[in-house]
Amino acid sequence: MLTKILSMANIGLKTENVEVEVNVADKGFPGFGIVGLASKAVEETKERVKTAIINSDIEFPTAKITINLAPADLAKEGSGYDLPVAIGIISAIGELVLPKEKAYFYGELSLDGSLRHTRGVFLLALLAKEEGVKNIFVPRMSANEASVVEDINVYPVDNLKSLIRHFKGEKLIEALKPVNVTEILSDITPEFDFSEVLGQQQAKRALEIAAAGGHNIFMMGPPGSGKTMLARAMAGILPNLTEKESLEVTKIYSLTGNIPPGGSLIRQRPFRSPHHTTSQIGLIGGGSNPHPGEISLAHRGVLFLDEFPEFGRNSLEALRQPLEDGYVCVSRAAGSVTFPAQFMLVAAANPCPCGHLGDPKKDCKCSGYQILNYQKKLSGPIMDRIDLHLTVPAVDVNNLMIDKEKVKGESSVEIKKRINEARKIQSERFKSLAHIHSNSDMKNSHLKEFAKLSDEANLLLKQAVNKFALSARSYFRLIKVARTIADLEKSEIIKEVHVAEALQYRVRNDG
Amino acid sequence: MNEWKKWPIKIIEKKDFPKGLKKISDCPEKLYYRGNWSDEIFENTLAIVGSRAMTRYGKEIISKFMPELIVQKITIISGFMYGVDSEAHRDCLDLGGKTIAVLGSGLNELYPSQNDKLYSEILEKNGLIISEYEPDFKATIWSFPQRNRIVSALSTIGVLIVEAGLKSGSLITAKLALKQKKRMFAVPGQIGSKTAEGTNWLIQSGGAKMATSVNDILGNSIHCPDQQNLFKDYSNLSDLEKQIVEVLENEEVTIDELCMKIRSPVSEISTTISMMLMRDLIVQENDKIYLS
Repeated sequence: MLTKILSMANIGLKTENVEVEVNVADKGFPGFGIVGLASKAVEETKERVKTAIINSDIEFPTAKITINLAPADLAKEGSGYDLPVAIGIISAIGELVLPKEKAYFYGELSLDGSLRHTRGVFLLALLAKEEGVKNIFVPRMSANEASVVEDINVYPVDNLKSLIRHFKGEKLIEALKPVNVTEILSDITPEFDFSEVLGQQQAKRALEIAAAGGHNIFMMGPPGSGKTMLARAMAGILPNLTEKESLEVTKIYSLTGNIPPGGSLIRQRPFRSPHHTTSQIGLIGGGSNPHPGEISLAHRGVLFLDEFPEFGRNSLEALRQPLEDGYVCVSRAAGSVTFPAQFMLVAAANPCPCGHLGDPKKDCKCSGYQILNYQKKLSGPIMDRIDLHLTVPAVDVNNLMIDKEKVKGESSVEIKKRINEARKIQSERFKSLAHIHSNSDMKNSHLKEFAKLSDEANLLLKQAVNKFALSARSYFRLIKVARTIADLEKSEIIKEVHVAEALQYRVRNDG
Repeated sequence: MNEWKKWPIKIIEKKDFPKGLKKISDCPEKLYYRGNWSDEIFENTLAIVGSRAMTRYGKEIISKFMPELIVQKITIISGFMYGVDSEAHRDCLDLGGKTIAVLGSGLNELYPSQNDKLYSEILEKNGLIISEYEPDFKATIWSFPQRNRIVSALSTIGVLIVEAGLKSGSLITAKLALKQKKRMFAVPGQIGSKTAEGTNWLIQSGGAKMATSVNDILGNSIHCPDQQNLFKDYSNLSDLEKQIVEVLENEEVTIDELCMKIRSPVSEISTTISMMLMRDLIVQENDKIYLS
């Protein structure tokens, strides 16, 4: 007897329909086989399904069972086919009758017949909505992911038994109530507060500008100056995710299994800080069956690369294209996949391998050759793609004490308020443009329209270009940063003072 | 790259050495050199040595002293290392002076490699590159201190130490210079600064004379007033700018330190600093701000 169950496959961030065809033949030698470009995890489905069915008090048929995952030329990965295969077999042997209405089945089985947290459920829900299929049956642990998608019924399944009872009409599973996205996206209190970071006024201001405009930022300073702490505190001042952005991020996190069991939408901007030994594929994405890398996991959020020059040269150079384009295209034998990668790069580095170059109190122990080699990694095209450049000086402990008494730093909440307002101005400004969300996303052609300079500002900018020998690219970056500073002050036009402040964060060639 | 190779390597015997060099007890038998050997280049010479980890202060001192030394037609001798050595060679060449580099390696071994252009430039501008080692000899840990005795021996006026830590090659040169009864000068530095520990110690122990201007080195020359500040227009400053100038007159600071001293928001100070920078009132290097 033949049954067909609807399920899905992921190719990058795209999803495709997969029909799971189950045939239980009375004739022929008993066996269990899967065809249709199944990966190892899918092959192992057989053992899980067989044991789970037996442990759900159903007699496993002694017959020739053939499973076909159609279309047969599409590579299938993951453990989500357990549920459709099991349901297919149970229905093929007549233990239950599937309703006429189309439904998707997806989820990994445990040996005792219960369903486990499975990645990609959010993508399945989006596919169902697109295809006009009303019902989806997914593990209860992962069902929350799907509940934010409108117009579909999400049935959270605990185990095979309860699903069988549902179809027999004995005890119905209640579909999840749809959740309002904007409700979830309410404010979250930060873990780290900016007022806890003592001193470093300039660095804090630079991070504020960076967060407000989505600019890439580079911090250089001796060890112990607080670069890492500043970067971590930055997670607390990032602007709230908009609904659209949250959906984009959730898609990637669902695909990679980064949503914890029971979790739904990603509400906070991602903050990724991969270690400097991360491989190029781990950072950029790839693999024979392409998977997103850290830069895609940091989509709409922050990618913090501490000890920047310690990253492999190839990895750093590979960052160039995604930094410019906001996406990364990974081509492999299995096909070519595009992952979004619109992240804000926060890079930190020491001035030299030992870290004390230029420190008046400590000796630098590096040879000139070492320093040259270290700084070579920082030069050129990659630095040109960073908007804000900053030196973070060593903090004098005595100053810290004075500072604590006299100037209480602003709290993250206050700063975040300003940033959210600046972001609001930006989203209003760019509402007619599809892929532009913040000032840093602007292409040079947009500057004329969106970044109007006052006459004095223009003059100052021209002088600065000559004085500091700025490249064309840094010239445009300077305008974008000035645009953000003007937004923070709610000024429609970019004034001289805004350009002047932006100049403090230009690329330094004298370091 | 390697343009300097077109200058041939020549050999000079001990009998043709300048007097000062011949006198020392461990004088080499012969020297290899590139460039034009002439007696007058050795007539009036000052050795400038110092830390490899030169700070901005050292650089400033060199550029402050150099013009007067060049005007007095003094040849600058140094060790071709990075840091103070290279800066002294380069600054001297920029002002049209003559310079002699004494290598710690053979003449065909370029070390440090980033000095490739400097090597050629010294030769182009009629300077000398000298080494006591075979042309293909690679520099070793002992060859650098060894060549220092030649640096010191060749100087007629004395040895000027710009920046030096307590355990540095510059202090080895100082020791050798004392043995050769050379006059020694050291530039004083800030107490607490690592690169000033050696120079301050030399002054304190009486080994070196304190050099705060070229006058201290040459003794009799005419004093040139520092003319730079005469051209700066410090009138027409805003209140904040005045406050900043006041702070900078005493010490160089970072923007953070300015914020703490003046108590203005960092955005305002950054803006003002940029404006002053554009008017050439101040200089910004690394993270510090200086009066220009």
